[in-house]
Amino acid sequence: MNTLLNDIRFGLRMLWKHRLASLICAVALGLGIGATAAMFSMAEGFLLHPVPFQEAGRIVALVDTRPQESILMNAIAPATFLDWQAQAKSFDQLGAYDWNEVNLTGERDPQRIQGFNITANLFSLLGVQPALGRSFLPEEEQLGNNQEIILGHGLWERRYASDPAILGKSIKVDGKAFTVVGVMAKGFDFPKPAEAWMPMTITDKHRVQRDSRYLWVLGHLKPGVSDAQASAEMLTLRQRQATDFPDSYKGWQLRVMSLRRFAAGDLTPQFMFLLLGATGFVLLIACADVANVQFARVTGRQKELAVRTAIGATRSRIVRQLLVESVLLSIVGAVLGLFLAHWLLALLLQHMPPDVAKFIAGWNTIRLDAGAFCFTLAIAVASGLLSGVAPALLISRTNISETLKESGRGASSGRTRHRLRSALVIAEVTLSLVLLVGAGLLVKGFHALLTVNDYSHPETLLTLSVNLPEVRYAQQETRQSFDDRVLQQVASLPHVQSVALATTIPYANGGGADTDTFSIEDRAPERRNDLPSALIQTVSPNFFSMMNIALREGRLFSGSDGSSTLPVAVISESLAHRYFPGQDPLGRKIKAGAPDSTSPWLSIAGVVADVHYSWINKEYIPTLYTLYNQSPKLYTSVIVRTDGQPLSFVPAVRSQIASVDPDLPIFNIKPLDVVIAESIVGIAYVAALMGAIGVIALILASVGVYGVMSYSVSERTHEIGIRMAMGATRGEIQRLIVGNGMLLTFIGITIGMPIAYAMAYALSSLIFGVTARDPLSFIGLPLLLGSVALLASYLPARRALRVDPLIALRYE
Amino acid sequence: MADANGTLIKMEGVKKVFYTDEVETHALEEIHLEIKKGQYISIAGPSGCGKSTLLSILGLLDSPSGGSYWLNGQPVAELSTSERTRIRNREIGFIFQAFNLIGDLTVYENVELPLTYRGSGAAERKQKVQNALERVGMAHRLRHYPSQLSGGQQQRVAVARALVGDPLILMADEPTGNLDSKNGEAVMELLRDLHRNGATICMVTHDQRYANFADRSIHLFDGRITEETQEAHASA
Repeated sequence: MNTLLNDIRFGLRMLWKHRLASLICAVALGLGIGATAAMFSMAEGFLLHPVPFQEAGRIVALVDTRPQESILMNAIAPATFLDWQAQAKSFDQLGAYDWNEVNLTGERDPQRIQGFNITANLFSLLGVQPALGRSFLPEEEQLGNNQEIILGHGLWERRYASDPAILGKSIKVDGKAFTVVGVMAKGFDFPKPAEAWMPMTITDKHRVQRDSRYLWVLGHLKPGVSDAQASAEMLTLRQRQATDFPDSYKGWQLRVMSLRRFAAGDLTPQFMFLLLGATGFVLLIACADVANVQFARVTGRQKELAVRTAIGATRSRIVRQLLVESVLLSIVGAVLGLFLAHWLLALLLQHMPPDVAKFIAGWNTIRLDAGAFCFTLAIAVASGLLSGVAPALLISRTNISETLKESGRGASSGRTRHRLRSALVIAEVTLSLVLLVGAGLLVKGFHALLTVNDYSHPETLLTLSVNLPEVRYAQQETRQSFDDRVLQQVASLPHVQSVALATTIPYANGGGADTDTFSIEDRAPERRNDLPSALIQTVSPNFFSMMNIALREGRLFSGSDGSSTLPVAVISESLAHRYFPGQDPLGRKIKAGAPDSTSPWLSIAGVVADVHYSWINKEYIPTLYTLYNQSPKLYTSVIVRTDGQPLSFVPAVRSQIASVDPDLPIFNIKPLDVVIAESIVGIAYVAALMGAIGVIALILASVGVYGVMSYSVSERTHEIGIRMAMGATRGEIQRLIVGNGMLLTFIGITIGMPIAYAMAYALSSLIFGVTARDPLSFIGLPLLLGSVALLASYLPARRALRVDPLIALRYE
Repeated sequence: MADANGTLIKMEGVKKVFYTDEVETHALEEIHLEIKKGQYISIAGPSGCGKSTLLSILGLLDSPSGGSYWLNGQPVAELSTSERTRIRNREIGFIFQAFNLIGDLTVYENVELPLTYRGSGAAERKQKVQNALERVGMAHRLRHYPSQLSGGQQQRVAVARALVGDPLILMADEPTGNLDSKNGEAVMELLRDLHRNGATICMVTHDQRYANFADRSIHLFDGRITEETQEAHASA
């Protein structure tokens, strides 16, 4: 212990003595460690603490998947859930919920809230209780008894001014009277972004449904039952269901996943691992930089180390001392890294729009906690060992007696050291190239997502949504009348150029777009589940012209199409290509749902260009457009083309809609460019972080090339002197040094290209606008890296030119 | 401990060959040497004759290419690396021409180093370092760094470092080579005092004046012992 303290004391003294080199190393490590610590904190929030329940480890989610269609998490049908409730033995509780956005009306302004229908046992399954009042009772799941509501803490504070006497009061939910029976604790918003909960009722009609999948099912494992046992049991049950009802389960597979994994979703972990991997690469590059500095430093201390060895220091003791020094250095780096991580996290948290953050599980738990601190310490020690071990081992093998001689160079392992240093630079260049290409592709993908819908000039479009309460708008005519009046009223506003209706706004609702099944006349599927699916978009006739969507074939909806004329549809190009390959789709009949559904057959009147509705989907989603006045919907969005700032029109538009229905809440009021930007903010974060990581990698790699070339010039001063004395020109000397640096860079780039291509290939399947054969990434970025390396080699080469042969030849 | 005859070092037919790019350089040939406990022996000869190579082999910093070497009765060839390190630490004290003090350690820490590697306790280290520095007259410079000392003072500190672990033998490689004549004389006097107090010393020098301080001199030429003399004051 005492000797370790001696090593630490001496190590600190050495760091202080070589302050500049120590600072450069600490900053390099700080960048790597800080970025990794910040990413770890985010990963911890997203992957380890996406749900704040003590019993989270004992809760699993049971979801359906359809791998062949890349559906990795799908809800469960009610009959499936009821089977499990009756038969599964692995769980002491099985609960379910489904999303139910509702309108709050009554005395106050109408408000749209994120509601969920839940089984009465869901809160006890999660191990939570309302802060005020009670949970739902089992009998409240019965139709007629289900008029209770539990409020989220935020909603209770904002809408009801934290009314302590709220329990038992009646509030209007979608026009019906609900009794408040509870208020949840502050911060509880499961399933995200819940603001209120209502009892779930599974009607007799739904109890037998196996194809309509809308329930998200959670199970709490019985004591002593493992995840694997529960999975095995559930898969057996699923097999039985598939045997009994082959049509309903064909192509579907059951997936049993931990609640944490379920809450984190599929995309977040993918991007999180990408970022963690990228920062890990940066840390490796920083370690390689530091290792190179350590090589130079310990080479300068050969004599000291030989003396230590001569007077009795064992090899392990020498190695330990050098490792202590490099670990101390990395701990200094870790301190800098913690500050960097703290700043980075604050920056990330601060700039995330609240409308997006509320959807991200674990976002609120992101912080530099004890776990992150321990992780930082661990990677600091690991980085110290990693960057110090090669120099320490090599230097400890130096020939002592040669080194101790007055003129001894002790460079018996010089060639090995040189090779290792070169290998480190090559590795740095390789990793940097991979990171740069990754960053380049992500930035390009983000830019593609941001601009893919630019043709519709989203900056002048105001979008807002309304949801007509079923009780008052049960009749199709009432809905149509509402739609017509809204179009008329809003269009009458000054400076409004046009108004359209659509059920789906591109990139709205977090960027996803739900698809539904449809049928093509004379093309009956073999099984019910084989029906094709598409985004079914109900629009007003001017939607296409307002969004600048080009007509490819046939005609668009016209003013003469209406409830009394032949029902018509317009389809997107991707739908035409996929389902009518080599055929003329015009005049063909198509309908929403199964062939035997009640919706009418629609005659295809036209084909239009594709619109990118969802950033999550890399490909265009086949879209079936129906006409608003032939099938008016309860849920619709109003799109207003303005001649100025869209937000300045909000009060006027709101007032016009209120003049049609004063009790109707208007929500999601945003210009379309904001909707798009917020929707892809996650990608923006990933792209920005990858961009920053790429730049850091480029800087660190150039520092590495510079360091090695610079040291090489110092080492070769004598040789350079001889060459000059023998008549080498300045150009030849310069080429010698620069050529060496560029050779290392070239090797690094050559190794890095296939790795970068593999990564690009993986990314291209994830993100819209990213292709594995991107010339900018695969020509431009290696050229950039090469140019920076050229500069990093040129500077030491210039120094080599200043060598005076006379002095150099005296140099030993 | 030395054997019954008091022999501390015995070499028989030791040779050393260096191989550089397939060229063999015979640095030492057929070295037969015996050093008894308490002797002060000097190894002299012209530059490149193999003096320092011989001292390196004697001090276990290098290994012979052939022949046999017993240190304190133990055949050196059979020693592992860690045993050689342990023997260097406990039984041999080195004094180098270039002092080889560690510039980033204080005088005290430099002298303490062999004891630290030996694992001695703090109190023992403190006492031994103090004693060693007092013996060389440098106890008043404990907190100084080598760069704050003159060459002669630095070599005194190096001698203290060599002495501090009570080695069986002191190996001195041109201990005056980097010193002016006044400081050189002083260091040689110091070594003579140590010898008078019982230390066994083996010193390499090319300066005949300093070789005469020893009670026995061997001369090397082209890697072979060409002459051995006993000084008149040997028994004095």
